[in-house]
Amino acid sequence: MSSRDMEMMAHLMRRAGFGATRPELEEHVARGYEATVEKLLNPGDPHNLPDDVLRRYHVDMGESRFLDTAGAYWIYRMVTTENPLEEKIALFWHGLFATGYAKLNQARSLLNQIEMFRRVGLGSFRDLLVELSKDPAMLVWLDNNDNHNGAINENYGRELLELFSMGIGNYTEQDIKEASRAFTGWTLGNAEYMVTRSMKDSIWPYGRISWHFDFREWDHDDGEKTFLGETGAWDGDDIVEIICKQSSAAEFVCRRIFQFFAADEIDGEGEEVVADMMRSYFESDYEIRSVLRTLFNSDYFRSERSMYKRVKAPVEVVVGAVRIAGSYREPTLEAPQLASQALFMGQGLLMPPTVEGWHEGDEWIDSGALVERVNFAAQELRNVELPGVQDIIYRLAHMNGGTLTPAELVNGCLDLMGPIRVSDETREALTGYVARSGDVPLRDDDSAEESANRVGEVLGLITATREYQLA
Amino acid sequence: MTTQAAAPPLTLKYAKTIGIVNNGLNGRGFAYPCDLAVSGDGRIFVMNRWDKAPRVGICNLDEDYVGEFGGGYGKDAGQFTLPVSIAFDSEERLYVTDEYLDRVSIFSTDGELLETWGAAGSGDGELNGPAGIAFDPDDNLYLVDQRNHRVQRFSRAGEFLGKWGSHGDGPGEFNMPWGAALDSGGNVYVADWRNDRVQKFTPDGCYLASFGDPGSGEGQLHRPAGVAVDGNGNVYVADWGNERVQVFAPDGSLAALLRGEATLSKWASEFLAANPDEKVVRDKSNLIPDLPLHLSSPYQVSSQTEPYFWGPVSVKLDGQGRLYVTETNRHRFQVYDVA
Repeated sequence: MSSRDMEMMAHLMRRAGFGATRPELEEHVARGYEATVEKLLNPGDPHNLPDDVLRRYHVDMGESRFLDTAGAYWIYRMVTTENPLEEKIALFWHGLFATGYAKLNQARSLLNQIEMFRRVGLGSFRDLLVELSKDPAMLVWLDNNDNHNGAINENYGRELLELFSMGIGNYTEQDIKEASRAFTGWTLGNAEYMVTRSMKDSIWPYGRISWHFDFREWDHDDGEKTFLGETGAWDGDDIVEIICKQSSAAEFVCRRIFQFFAADEIDGEGEEVVADMMRSYFESDYEIRSVLRTLFNSDYFRSERSMYKRVKAPVEVVVGAVRIAGSYREPTLEAPQLASQALFMGQGLLMPPTVEGWHEGDEWIDSGALVERVNFAAQELRNVELPGVQDIIYRLAHMNGGTLTPAELVNGCLDLMGPIRVSDETREALTGYVARSGDVPLRDDDSAEESANRVGEVLGLITATREYQLA
Repeated sequence: MTTQAAAPPLTLKYAKTIGIVNNGLNGRGFAYPCDLAVSGDGRIFVMNRWDKAPRVGICNLDEDYVGEFGGGYGKDAGQFTLPVSIAFDSEERLYVTDEYLDRVSIFSTDGELLETWGAAGSGDGELNGPAGIAFDPDDNLYLVDQRNHRVQRFSRAGEFLGKWGSHGDGPGEFNMPWGAALDSGGNVYVADWRNDRVQKFTPDGCYLASFGDPGSGEGQLHRPAGVAVDGNGNVYVADWGNERVQVFAPDGSLAALLRGEATLSKWASEFLAANPDEKVVRDKSNLIPDLPLHLSSPYQVSSQTEPYFWGPVSVKLDGQGRLYVTETNRHRFQVYDVA
């Protein structure tokens, strides 16, 4: 088990998940890189903290009325799942199909949309777009409940083409109108009542009523349409089918996946990977799983060209720190603050700022957000009572006879928190800080507690390094 | 399963719904109710668990909201953090368990805090997540000690009298038990939540029988939360995970199954009368819709079907032939006449 294998596995798990603890990494490395990629792509039972346990403890997680507890529910899933890619792909689609609470006042239906991303998010892009087009939260978010036979509302049809599947320049205004006609009658059950409640944020008389899809045949335009050059009596399923076979759709989705999972910017060699991903898209009948397999197994992804080339999104910062620290593995009163913390850093789950989602990459970082990011992660990893931190201390205590030099402590912490590769300057600064108090005797009964706290301090300091803030 | 004489046929007739969601810190309505208890004069004391404003609300069957009490959210005396269950002793002192604070708080019906007791731990008399409570005629308190996976018996002053149970799924073992009730003979029934069954014990904790097995079919249970027993020995179960109520005859056969049929409470009707824009479109809506396959779990169906139980957490009988089903997620309770 080489350090390079460990470093590469840590990279994979940061991208396909939210980072991994050392015991998890050891298990993955023993399995092998490609086999781990397959396990991520073909998830089994997630063994996450069960819904019933959460709903019994967090009483609002049953109705899911409040945004913070709904967000916390998802974060519990991200923190405790054994299928991290299932949650990561849901986060990806949530950012791309950015549906927000502010207009809907319906967190339960938003969580149902996230569950749909878990269910079909690694499957066919065709199935995903059909499900998205029937998703009640999306229908209300982009006004398809107001899209009627003879009186179309183009909002969903336009964003489907522009923001969700092809990108501007690959269709005409007429294509938008024709697509919109095809989606007439696609609405939600009891639309008038549900939308009235939604607009008023009414919870009365008996709390939220969740939403479901309804097809109103009498309101559907079943006439002939010409869309992207093809003519027929198209309905929404046909529109999606025609979209998915466009090269522009393949390029759109593969570029977005590349930027989310591999690197914020696509360089020349990255373009070649995108081309390979597009080939996988068509060869697999538009399967996202195949596209991701091509990406994760590419030389590009498994190289310096991809490592540390993404700024962690706030949710990655929060979930990553919590997973390493080992907190929130059971229902915890403070869990809703996890969603709030991500919001303070600029990413409110279930509440993307606009239909375009979040602006990612460097835009995650400003002086205020950076302070929030470091403070949160440091608070978690400085807490030597948490089981994940205790595991790191235990492992350090079993290195080099249990007494570490400052350099050994810093190297050990960087290794066990990642491995994280930092600049020489950063490493020296960390080592210099530790050296002010000398060596660190972790197995000396008289000083073990103090030494453990010194480990916590180093872990906390590492969260402030540039490299920790990158994925 | 022990064999007992068959009980007379059971009929449950829907009577009414009481409640409306309240998202304020006080006033008429409920906020994530988790249990209720009926006093001798017919007042209904409803424990609201919402962390922004946990409180006991008081109403009556005529749907008058007559008061409330509690010191709000917190750890101080008289406050609640995660309240679970409430019950009256023979002198109408109201006992409230709090699974976060590991304590029992005792109030007068006027809301005066009379006493608190309880300490965290796993030793005799110590608590780890106190949940359901029930009194015997001598005012001994049976308390479900959720995360210690056991039942403890106390005097009403909190003196430890006995215990039974441990973590497991065998007879007499528990997995995060929740509600409790006693029958007229003093036998104790425990909603063995994560074992999907209700267990019956003698007053001293000897195992007698088990009702239900895991599943969603008739007579099966999924995460039962509450239990009650009538004078004929019928066992009423808040089948929380299946979003329904089931009643077992003393011989274990299924005597009744309720999915819920809520109508507008007086308070709900008044709300809609004041909001005609909502009433007009509501009146045209089908509140028991057909749903797609991926929304077919009981939880999802209840989230979309307003008349059905959603989060039925507690079943209580008032001695006057009425069954009260408290629904956390709908902020109300449904009342059924038992015959």
